[in-house]
Amino acid sequence: MIQSTAIHRRRQVLVVEDQELNRDILGMILEDDYDVLYAENGAEGVACMREHRETLSIVLLDLMMPVMNGFEVLELVREDEELRHIPIIVLTAEKKAELKALQLGAADFITKPFDMHEIILARVGRIIELSEGRRLISAAERDPLTGLYNRGFFFEYADQIRRYYRDLRMDAVVINIERFHSVNDFNGREFGDRILRRLGEEIRGCLAGTEGIACRAEADQFFLFCQCTDYRAMLDRFQQSVNEFSKRVAIRLRMGVCFGTGDRTPGMLFDRARTACNMVRGSYKGHLMIYDEEMHERELYSQRLLNDLGQAIEERQFAVYYQPKYDIQCHPPRLNSAEALVRWKHPELGLVSPGDFIPLFEKNGLIHVVDNYVWGEAASQIAEWRSKYGFTLPLSVNLSRMEVFDPTLERTLLQLLEQYKISSKDFKLEVTESAYTDDAEQLVAVIGQLREYGFEIEMDDFGSGYSSLNTISSLPIDVLKMDMKFIQNVEENSKNFRLIELILDIAGYLGVPVVAEGVQTSTQMQLLQNAGCEYVQGFYFSRPLPAEEFEKLIIKEIEAAKERKS
Amino acid sequence: MTLQELYQIIDGNYDHAVQIMRMEKLVARYISRFPKSGVNEALQEAGRSMDPARMFETAHAMKGVCANMGFDKLSAAAGEICEEFRPGNARSISDDEIRAKLAEVDAMYRRTVEGINAYEQQ
Repeated sequence: MIQSTAIHRRRQVLVVEDQELNRDILGMILEDDYDVLYAENGAEGVACMREHRETLSIVLLDLMMPVMNGFEVLELVREDEELRHIPIIVLTAEKKAELKALQLGAADFITKPFDMHEIILARVGRIIELSEGRRLISAAERDPLTGLYNRGFFFEYADQIRRYYRDLRMDAVVINIERFHSVNDFNGREFGDRILRRLGEEIRGCLAGTEGIACRAEADQFFLFCQCTDYRAMLDRFQQSVNEFSKRVAIRLRMGVCFGTGDRTPGMLFDRARTACNMVRGSYKGHLMIYDEEMHERELYSQRLLNDLGQAIEERQFAVYYQPKYDIQCHPPRLNSAEALVRWKHPELGLVSPGDFIPLFEKNGLIHVVDNYVWGEAASQIAEWRSKYGFTLPLSVNLSRMEVFDPTLERTLLQLLEQYKISSKDFKLEVTESAYTDDAEQLVAVIGQLREYGFEIEMDDFGSGYSSLNTISSLPIDVLKMDMKFIQNVEENSKNFRLIELILDIAGYLGVPVVAEGVQTSTQMQLLQNAGCEYVQGFYFSRPLPAEEFEKLIIKEIEAAKERKS
Repeated sequence: MTLQELYQIIDGNYDHAVQIMRMEKLVARYISRFPKSGVNEALQEAGRSMDPARMFETAHAMKGVCANMGFDKLSAAAGEICEEFRPGNARSISDDEIRAKLAEVDAMYRRTVEGINAYEQQ
């Protein structure tokens, strides 16, 4: 434990008493335990308080004094911001005076004559302790930057409001600043702090005269426990205030609201309001989100999936399906490779859509758990089919953006190749186009390294991201996988067909083949074949299949090859 | 003369004085300063003008100082004058009666001071 002499120092006491003998007797009582200062009248006492305001622990104040009496001192101190924190004990023998002094803010009183030393010392000690405790609480209660409550005190007070004022239906409001860390990075922490202070002031102003309370919960996150009929107007007010303050730098606020109900604790309300606020992230619809039950159910579902992931891996609830890719420039088209796709057969929730769990695990930094599982299964499958059919079918697996930046990625992949004795060219890696948009330089370096080991890189969902023609030419890729949206409407819309032709031209320029995803009909298939697209993946050939069903396609391919030979 | 004997002579409360100052030595030290405290002189001076505020202040001061010295009777006598002039209290005795009380207080004070001086000089 840190021991500070400053904390255990002797406390300083001021005795304000006009009678020298009384003053000295009181000093005699106190001096063993305290450093004692003296003043002969109220005016001298106030001057001494001002001079020692940082170190003075308590004042013992006589009431009847020349120049300025004790009551006048109490009145003056009560109104003085600098002095009001110093507790005052009055010295009196009059009951009426005791009451008046207490009403004027005296902390306690000591009766004359000073014959009960222990009582005097006990009172002085207790009042100092109370006062220091109150100052500590007061310091801890407020966020020094904004003057709003700190999180802990805020929840304590919010809980008290809920407990003692049940008829007040208070709502939970969470406000934060979009990309606040970037605001700080680009403009400096001081600028960021000024924005937070401004927002804090505006919140205080907004809640003044109401039952509402507010805190800065963390960094740029503000919590309000309040009643309001128009949260849109409230957000607009805060936004306008911040805009006026920051004309040069665009600051965007987000707000999430959960309406209060009698049965939910403030903690529960704020969890929901924060969820609503997080839903605003990346939304172009607006910056205010009101929490609803659908959101709650979605949140519970997500949490359930996150909780169950570990057990799902242990119990092998994830199944890997394979969807074939066919070379359509051959006649008839030939099975070329397949993409490994994960399915979650949850024992209680049934089949969980990859659309539900993949983005969730990506967002929570857990996707590598699933991907590592899929990579292992796919590598093992390549080896199994090779051994069973003497035929190596290359498989592609997905590589998330997060994994690209994992320093152990190369080692993990090379270990898999080693374990199953497979070649890197048969283990293709699919990276989405959007992954290339941020930190492209580092990503290109990692991908370049993987290609040197012989891995083929397929750019997934090409056309759904924002690659410019300029950057695409410098990206290290081996295959373009055309986003399925281009194919889906190609029969109705000739513009889409033109876009497909453009993508094929780009791929031709880059010297890489194209895989068209989501092909379902023979018309789509024909159009792509005629346009020169090399490979097709989609329901036209097959939906994603479990390994044992997929084997039928392999057998069929082997038989077709035999026929071609004969 | 012992300190206890001094308190008997001046009609003070020795036990109370020791209770306040805890040690006989300290009682002796503080009472030796009593003659120079000026509390009686201020009260007698106020009595000449009979200014009520001044009467209250000086009587109040004398009552408090004497109480802390263990001069309980002197303190009580000053206290009577103090209450007579306490703001808000109705006067119950005449100025002449006050003057008589002031003379009484003055006599008690002088006897106390003489006793203290005698104790000091031995």
